[in-house]
Amino acid sequence: MNLATKKWIFLKISSIILLPLMVWFIFNFIAIYDQSYEEVLKFFSNSTTKFLFSLFIVFAYFFSSLSISEVFEDYISNDKIKNVANRLLFLSAIIIPLLTIISLFNLN
Amino acid sequence: MENRNPLSPHIQIYRWHISSLVSISHRITGIINIVATTLICIWASSLILGDTNYDFINLFLTSIFGKFIAIGLAWSFSFQILSETRHLLMDMGYGFELQTTRITGLVVIFGSVLLTILIYLIGRNFI
Repeated sequence: MNLATKKWIFLKISSIILLPLMVWFIFNFIAIYDQSYEEVLKFFSNSTTKFLFSLFIVFAYFFSSLSISEVFEDYISNDKIKNVANRLLFLSAIIIPLLTIISLFNLN
Repeated sequence: MENRNPLSPHIQIYRWHISSLVSISHRITGIINIVATTLICIWASSLILGDTNYDFINLFLTSIFGKFIAIGLAWSFSFQILSETRHLLMDMGYGFELQTTRITGLVVIFGSVLLTILIYLIGRNFI
């Protein structure tokens, strides 16, 4: 199996997992975005929320980094620029969810 | 080895169709969603700093601009959900006829507006 096929399969599997998580998150986001600190803290401190939100951001960044690297493939001709852009993209897709999950699991 | 893969031709040379509008909107909303998800990660992480630091964020989120951003994000998520579902159906071999692609494209465009209204009404406990 070549790399492009593997990438496509990962993209499709992650999108199937991501779709219900997006639905779950957007309904909850609309319900809490303008609430007080205590209400928002209560939402994010809930163990179900912690689990689902962690899954949501991991799959959102995984899916986005694969999708955006396809956009780079389509529109960037310079290989050096494309490689740097891809490395920054994959690095941010690891660091941002990781830091957020650490913060989330330290909430009381 | 030098990469000789062809680049996509510039989008301006194509005549606009429903499918091309949905396709470019899918990419744009995808980028909006990941930028928004990054801001949401910062928002969720900021809770660890305590309520005194939250006042500024709360002031922004309770303003008209905050409401506009929240509704805009609900539309952007709705568009991605419907458009990605359309992609998955096409990956399974459905909906390639010209007329069907137009209809499903319109379903994505108008359905995303309806879904946004539904998300807002249910999220805010109006229904």
